[in-house]
Amino acid sequence: MNPESTGYKRDVIIQTTAKLMVPFILVFGLYVMMGSEGTGGGFQGGCILAAAYILYVTAFGTEKGRVMMPESWNTFFTSLGLYLYDGAGLVAIILSLAAAQFLNYSAIWPLANILGIAEARGYMVAFVVDVGIGITVMAAFVSQFFDLAWKEKEEEKGE
Amino acid sequence: MKPESLVGLLMVLFLAALFVYVVEDVPAFGDKYSPANRYVKLFSIDAEGLTESLEAGKVPPAIKNEVERIGFNKENNFPTLEEGAYEIERNEEEGGWDLLIAEGELYFKEPLKYYFVKEEDGKLTIYRYNWPVRVLEKAEEETAVINTVTAGLADYRGYDTMFEETVIFSGAVCVILLMRRRGRL
Repeated sequence: MNPESTGYKRDVIIQTTAKLMVPFILVFGLYVMMGSEGTGGGFQGGCILAAAYILYVTAFGTEKGRVMMPESWNTFFTSLGLYLYDGAGLVAIILSLAAAQFLNYSAIWPLANILGIAEARGYMVAFVVDVGIGITVMAAFVSQFFDLAWKEKEEEKGE
Repeated sequence: MKPESLVGLLMVLFLAALFVYVVEDVPAFGDKYSPANRYVKLFSIDAEGLTESLEAGKVPPAIKNEVERIGFNKENNFPTLEEGAYEIERNEEEGGWDLLIAEGELYFKEPLKYYFVKEEDGKLTIYRYNWPVRVLEKAEEETAVINTVTAGLADYRGYDTMFEETVIFSGAVCVILLMRRRGRL
């Protein structure tokens, strides 16, 4: 693909800076997303992860960005987070043999006994529910960004 | 000037004035005794002869009847102040008594701070504790989550957060439907 058709130009400074910053932004996003200690939560963490990805796409172009996250994976992640959250709610019903309501994490205490971890319930909230929110938010924002930025072949010819 | 733009200008000015009023009216940031963070005043009565009863661990009929009269009764699904259903604890720090009631939740049976009786100048003032007090004092014990905000967001208000996530998901699906045409249309 030749650069003139998309208006995309290679810039060494921008690309090197983006390459340096993206890993740190990703780590910071993960830290914010695991909201058990410190600040943040799933929504903020997912936004930061999406921001890191969008920075990469702005520096390297949509073609290369789509290689990093293919469309199939993006759609998969958009629903995976929601399934994780709802799955945590279902686990509460299953583990309590339908005695507890949907999303009643107190019923996850048997899990604590089996695993021998007293804070299993807290881990459930911090590492399953919050990460589920983060994955959905990240994938949704990246998907929306691509739908707006992506140009079909026909459109490019027409311009 | 067109009448529509005049109306718009007046609405903007009204909103600005409203925001200034709201900022002036809210309690100071971090005030732990503000109504939103601590308790709401219900009513006050004369303390005559009621303090001894409270010290003995019994709610005087005067307080019980007044609480039920203003709407905190069984018909409105509030826990009643029947004998044996509550506990009274002296709260030295704030100069009053805490009324603790067990609400009968399936997985948490401990009594919780429900009303607060404050003694001041021969008068007893009854307050009702707000929900954030429970979150602040019991969140770690009840949910095993260290962060109070996460406990409130993902645990106590789990349904809210689940459907917030669903809203974002549907937003992404709608953008896919509208923008990803692939040569159709």
